[in-house]
Amino acid sequence: MTVNEFHPQVKQLLDGELTLTDLAPELRAEGEEALRLLGAVDREPVAFPGLDTRILAELRRRRATPGLWQRLRVGLRPWTLVPAFAAGIAVALLLFRPAPTPATTVTVRFVLFAPEAQQVALAGTFNQWDTAATPLIRTEAPGVWTATLTLPAGQHQYAFVVDGARWVADPAAPAVDDGFGRRNSVLSL
Amino acid sequence: MKTLCVSLLLAICSTAVSAQDVTARLAGRVPPDVATLVRQLATSAAARGLPVDPLIQKAIEGSAKGVPADRVATALRGLVAQLDVAAAALRDAGSAQPDTDAIAAGAFAVNAGLSGKNVTALAVASRPSNSVPATLRVASTLAAMGVPPAETVELVTNVIDAGGSSADVLALPTQVMAGVSEGRGRGVTPAQAAAGLSRAAAARANAPGQNKPKHGRP
Repeated sequence: MTVNEFHPQVKQLLDGELTLTDLAPELRAEGEEALRLLGAVDREPVAFPGLDTRILAELRRRRATPGLWQRLRVGLRPWTLVPAFAAGIAVALLLFRPAPTPATTVTVRFVLFAPEAQQVALAGTFNQWDTAATPLIRTEAPGVWTATLTLPAGQHQYAFVVDGARWVADPAAPAVDDGFGRRNSVLSL
Repeated sequence: MKTLCVSLLLAICSTAVSAQDVTARLAGRVPPDVATLVRQLATSAAARGLPVDPLIQKAIEGSAKGVPADRVATALRGLVAQLDVAAAALRDAGSAQPDTDAIAAGAFAVNAGLSGKNVTALAVASRPSNSVPATLRVASTLAAMGVPPAETVELVTNVIDAGGSSADVLALPTQVMAGVSEGRGRGVTPAQAAAGLSRAAAARANAPGQNKPKHGRP
């Protein structure tokens, strides 16, 4: 079976507009198969094993390299150090202000099966519900749209926007009432 | 008297700053009448110690979705009610002045189907080793997946009682989803998958040598 042969009701199921129980009994097997295919798409958070270690190793290597200061130090006289000392304090004040704690981020791949769509976007709490900020890209697999985002850890609500007008909950994610009669998908990172 | 005056001045200043912030964030994103309502609700909410960010987000969301202003107003008032329920629930859990992050997470849990009592129980179970907002977010995700509120609270509490870390709690939605996926042929529901995990956690908590935390539930 190719994805283009799905029954229209099954496509509605994949769009999150219907549930399995809403389908006619003869369509449920097809619906389950479609969900299984969609579930097989990799949507695990993308990890970069060893990246932290490599960054720390590079930082250590750079610290070990003799800097300009070490190379100039031999020719300096004490009084020449006064302006340098003042400048050093100024630089230190700029550099050593308490830095904000870096937020933990997670890279997530979003996938929607929407074979009829001309364009698909992602809107949610992470982009101020901007329907133009995060377009999905059509993949080689027919009808499959995808976007990969790096998001801060926490809880996010979102929905897909199909052809700039139709708001569709992610059929592969839990959803809650949006307060407007629709559903928002929920992502906890 | 002097302290009272300073406190009042600080409160007035923070409210004014908050109103400016709300105006700036809504500019060009929502209709003027919705912006006015959000400012009013936000001022009142901030005075009660509630977070205003969820109100701003909801107004922007409604506008982006093309929802009529009166319906956005109804949703905003409903959200304020959820924030109030969450704040009261956290106070019942022993937090005299709950932080805004926890209140926002609690309101979202209420929106997902949990009650104020559920939020109180989860907040009590979280302390002192786990983050209350993180626990509430996990619980709301489980509820959104279809795990009933009582089973959601039981699962999270059992995992924490068994010595589960924040990471263990955060992994629960994924584990429930995996349980549903593995049991698809047998028609396993999220509630059943959660119940299985809950039983396993309870067994770990009651295993010999396990020091069960005392929650001091209210």
